[in-house]
Amino acid sequence: MRGSCELDLLVFLHRHPRTLLTNERLAAFVGYEMKQVAKSIEAFIDAGVLERTQNAIHAARMYVLVLNGPGDGGLKALLKLASTRTGRRDILQILRPGQLQTAVDITQGKRRLHAIA
Amino acid sequence: MQSPDSRTQKISAPEPDLVRTGIAGLDDILNGGIPRGNVILVEGLIGAGKTTLGVEFVYRGASLFDEPGIIVVFEVSPDKLMRDALRFGWDLRKLEQQGRLKIVFTTRDVLRQELQQADSVLLEEAASIGARRIFIDGVARLVGGTGTPDSRSGFHVLTEGLQRENLTAILAAEASSFDGNSSTSLPEESIADTVIRIKMEDSQRAIVRSLEVVKSRGQDFQMGRHSFRIINGRGIQVYRRVQAPRKPSRDRAAALEPTTRLTTGIPGLDEMTNGGYFVGSTTVVAGISGVGKSVMGLQFIAEGARRGERSLMLSLDEQVEQIMRNASTIGIDLPALMKSGLVRVEYEPPQEIEVDVHFHHIEELVKEFKPKRVLIDSLSTYGSSLGTTGRIFRDFFHALVALMKEYQIVAVYNHENPEMLGMNSMMGSFAMSSLVDNIILMNWIELGDSFRVGMTIAKTRASQVNRTTHECEVLDGHGMRVLPRALPAPKQPFSNYASLVSRTPERRSTKVEPDESGE
Repeated sequence: MRGSCELDLLVFLHRHPRTLLTNERLAAFVGYEMKQVAKSIEAFIDAGVLERTQNAIHAARMYVLVLNGPGDGGLKALLKLASTRTGRRDILQILRPGQLQTAVDITQGKRRLHAIA
Repeated sequence: MQSPDSRTQKISAPEPDLVRTGIAGLDDILNGGIPRGNVILVEGLIGAGKTTLGVEFVYRGASLFDEPGIIVVFEVSPDKLMRDALRFGWDLRKLEQQGRLKIVFTTRDVLRQELQQADSVLLEEAASIGARRIFIDGVARLVGGTGTPDSRSGFHVLTEGLQRENLTAILAAEASSFDGNSSTSLPEESIADTVIRIKMEDSQRAIVRSLEVVKSRGQDFQMGRHSFRIINGRGIQVYRRVQAPRKPSRDRAAALEPTTRLTTGIPGLDEMTNGGYFVGSTTVVAGISGVGKSVMGLQFIAEGARRGERSLMLSLDEQVEQIMRNASTIGIDLPALMKSGLVRVEYEPPQEIEVDVHFHHIEELVKEFKPKRVLIDSLSTYGSSLGTTGRIFRDFFHALVALMKEYQIVAVYNHENPEMLGMNSMMGSFAMSSLVDNIILMNWIELGDSFRVGMTIAKTRASQVNRTTHECEVLDGHGMRVLPRALPAPKQPFSNYASLVSRTPERRSTKVEPDESGE
């Protein structure tokens, strides 16, 4: 997990675990540039948490989030945390430490994440 | 040229392969289900219950009939759909994990393009789990808006795509212009095989839901608008409209048992009714409030229990606890009778009675409890709730009478006649005495400075009737009894009076000779 696009895409896919969309519509739903979303998708596919149909004829792709692996419990907990505004902000603070206001925030954020995951 | 025989020969059509929806009551209306492969258009306003109906169709298929299914949504996210389904006890997530359900989120544009392609990703998904059912929520704006040529064409493309896979499909369409009298129809209706219209209507400030099968290719179905409810923990329950014809046996059952009578439980009344009420008969006890109708009814119920017969009392006027208290004052231990399983007392508040729903409850009670006696207290409360001038009340009562006859139940209906002294008509504005076998009139009769109770058998079908008015009394701890015609002095018996029910009773000027029985 490297940034907000990946987090928000993951949250979207968690709410819509089987989604049939074009890249443009997916990017619009998530609210990021198409290139950024495409990059995040590739990262998830590489990590084995996302499956995508491969069909050159179709503009739309079926994306299926796969969260059945043994190590996916932590990811589920992360998604639960990310589903709230505060939780999302906490996670983003961890992912983007440069934007944090104090070192205390970082420590608190990390503690919360550890407690959940 | 055809011979007369060949012309009159009945054509035996093949039995259709019906898909049972699994939605309570709906398959009855559809005479078993919907022909496999039909595309069903479900139309209705926002909040009418289209999504619930579609999701239940797929859920029941996957969980009850081993028919996996697909749900396609455009606006609502699948996790919310799953959350809402849990309210009804439908665990969609579990079905997904078991590979019997897939919920696909997409857009209308994508779906339209998908279904135009022979190798649709969506239909491949359906095929991968062996899906037999599909629900697509929100097809009205699939292409260009409702009712436009584009939308009709888009809808056609959609149905063709679904038919390629022989999926039985429910397509929910939001229709914003249905009102009670409108014959407006969506152009998509002509393409769909089955059309179900769902309505929400204002009825006496309450909102009631109803459903109508407008058409369904390849099958017969029960026409008209049927009520339905969305019930927490269960889902949709459709209640066949009360006027809809039931199985033919119901109307043929009027007199299966022509001789057996059930005793009334009122000392003296059995003699007046030649031994009691006929099995399968309908009796109305009419009289003003307080005259003793409910007491009579309770004794009728208790008499059944004493004889080991199951008895059901349905009250719209008093709650069960109040009825128990009333019963105890006349020596009937109602809680004990209920505990024994021979007596069941049900109370239903009369406010906002939905006639189809109410009739369904009674029908289910009768089927389940199998009573030999039923007391309904009272008809007049139905009248104030449903109105007596239209057809609804009469149709409801007709259905009730037919139900009781089918199950060979002796049914007694209390009816409050508003006239305090005497009666100008037996049933007032309830014009249905022709449906009733026995009518017992209960009257206040003012003699001297007191009101006494008079009972007259005004009508008994298939029996000789003696229309003499008898006096009754209700004693604490004992209940009601009919007094003998001759009473010891100083009380003057009714036989010493004339015109008892005419509001102006008069003492007879000459002594009345005793009749043959010595009374």
